[in-house]
Amino acid sequence: MSKSLEVLLLDDEPIVGRRLKPALDKIGCHVEIFENPIEAVARIDEKEFDIVVTDIRMEKMNGMQVFEHVKKKWPRTKVIIITGYAKMELAREAMEKGIFDFIAKPFRPDDLRQIIARAAQALGTPIDLTLIKD
Amino acid sequence: MTPPPELPTLTDDSEDDENLKLKERPSISIRMTIAISYALFFLLCVAITISSFWTISILEDKIKFLEITDNYLVEIQQARRFEKNYLLYGTNLDDALEHLTNAKKILSANSKTIKKIMGEKIFQSNSDYMQKYHDQLLKLGGEKKTGKIDDIVPLLRQYGGEMVSSAEEFVKKERGSVARMLMMAKRVPFYFISGLLVLIMIFVIYLTQNLMVTLKRFMDYTKRIGEGDFSPIVPAKKFKDEFTKLAEAFNTMIRELNHKHSILLESHKLRAIGTLVAGVAHELNNPLNNTLLTAEMLKEDLTVLSDTEKIEMIDDMINETVRSQVIVKGLLDFARESETTIKPLKIEKIVSEAIRLVANQVKMAMVKLKTNFEDNLPGIYGDEQLLKQVFVNLIINALDVLPPGGEVCVDIHKNKNSDFVVVEVEDNGPGIPEHIQSRIFEPFFTTKGQSKGTGLGLSVSKGIIRKLGGYMHLKRSSESGTIFMVSLPAIESPSEMMSKK
Ligand SMILES: Nc1ncnc2c1ncn2[C@@H]1O[C@H](COP(=O)(O)OP(=O)(O)O)[C@@H](O)[C@H]1O
Ligand SMILES: [Mg+2]
Repeated sequence: MSKSLEVLLLDDEPIVGRRLKPALDKIGCHVEIFENPIEAVARIDEKEFDIVVTDIRMEKMNGMQVFEHVKKKWPRTKVIIITGYAKMELAREAMEKGIFDFIAKPFRPDDLRQIIARAAQALGTPIDLTLIKD
Repeated sequence: MTPPPELPTLTDDSEDDENLKLKERPSISIRMTIAISYALFFLLCVAITISSFWTISILEDKIKFLEITDNYLVEIQQARRFEKNYLLYGTNLDDALEHLTNAKKILSANSKTIKKIMGEKIFQSNSDYMQKYHDQLLKLGGEKKTGKIDDIVPLLRQYGGEMVSSAEEFVKKERGSVARMLMMAKRVPFYFISGLLVLIMIFVIYLTQNLMVTLKRFMDYTKRIGEGDFSPIVPAKKFKDEFTKLAEAFNTMIRELNHKHSILLESHKLRAIGTLVAGVAHELNNPLNNTLLTAEMLKEDLTVLSDTEKIEMIDDMINETVRSQVIVKGLLDFARESETTIKPLKIEKIVSEAIRLVANQVKMAMVKLKTNFEDNLPGIYGDEQLLKQVFVNLIINALDVLPPGGEVCVDIHKNKNSDFVVVEVEDNGPGIPEHIQSRIFEPFFTTKGQSKGTGLGLSVSKGIIRKLGGYMHLKRSSESGTIFMVSLPAIESPSEMMSKK
């Protein structure tokens, strides 16, 4: 592993960040967690993340708005959206806009790790998922 | 502690009692009132006829009697004329005596009537004078030869004069009385007619007033029913009339409407549940996701985690499970089919629960929901489910029109001037166009299209509030937003409410 993958994780449920940070650390990600979308967007303005994972449904700002913001600032960054439900047409529309992938609640840590691995692949910095199976 | 106020019942059976009470009232129908009045008028007319007939027949008698009195006067005058002739020319005195006897006959023949008119005393003095005159006249006849007439003549003149003037007086009096009677006979029908006119006027005014007031009351009933208040009608009058039958018919209609309305209420509630279920299902995904992530990580890192970390994760799982349970329970409480039970409630608690039920819709619409509850609010009477439904309706209506970033504010306060607790649901949406403002409370009126709106929310809500003795109306709506206002009667002072709990 040359360089760790920079990941921003945004969900207004604090437990999501608390559980996923160690889960993603294990596959060689460097994770910053946020509960407040305003703070998260401010951080995005400062730093180019490789991957942004955001919940879609939050007060003040939703996941799509965060995505629009990221896309404008860092076109290379992969955005993964967490939804409360899997709605096909919304997914298709979002994919066309350039969202990397969706993950529907409830999900397992491995589900997200899989998607992140694919994103890393797409970014040209593949990660080895077998690392966690120790 | 004061007993709960008389609350309109939501069940059907009590309305039969009302109808029974109506039937038991004594009956005074409008038809009977009119018939009685006609009979009265007829009696009055008969009285007029009889009284004029009576006056005329009296007049007839009087006029006849006037002839007699005239004769009497003439006889007396004749007697005096012959007496004077006798004294002047020595003509026959017997003529005078004959006329006087005639006059006396007339007087005694009509003594009763004359006594009645002149009075006993005058009649007596009148006949005394006549007697004295008669005596002097006889004396005069006797003294003719003796020539002692000088003593008799002055007495004869005095008594004769008295006799004539008294008779003249009597005739004058009788004429006067006839004239007076004639006058009266002329006026009596006029008085009667004016009296009749006044009576008719009073009757017409009474009848129209009565009808108008009752009709107005029935108009108010229809308005009240239209607003969804299905409590039975109890007419204000103490007796039965045609309107009582109408009231009974109204009560039957109200019962039917109430039944239909409860079906409507149920269908609207199902719709509201449908809306809430979508939101609640999403909301449920959060605690489920938290539990799943925590359980997975606990399993994965079981050997490396410290005991405190493990305990913390287990606590998270317990808490998130309880959270799921609360979410499900909220929806179940709302959806549960239950008898309407009216009991003392805390309005702020009901509103908070309604807000929790729609929390997800609020989040999805990206709308800010603010609350502003006054301290020490008095309690209210109501049914939890029905009241929650009202506030859920109002908030969802606001969410339907608000763009992301919009605001809903729910305010509860006590009205300072009356014993009402007021809940205001305000949004800063586009407002309700003025030309539809009068229609929004109509059942099935919706601007949202058949697939999205039922048009029942406001109508059902208003019905619920009216049943609890409260009021619901659109307080204000303009381009800058809309405020709906719900007022419910307060129970009593907050301290008493607290001690009850
Ligand atoms: N807060 C609001 N802002 C604007 N319009 C409203 C609001 N609340 C209600 N309305 C109007 O009143 C209509 C009737 O509302 P309602 O009885 O709840 O039926 P529905 O919501 O099913 O249409 C709505 O269709 C809408 O046009
Ligand atoms: Mg509605």
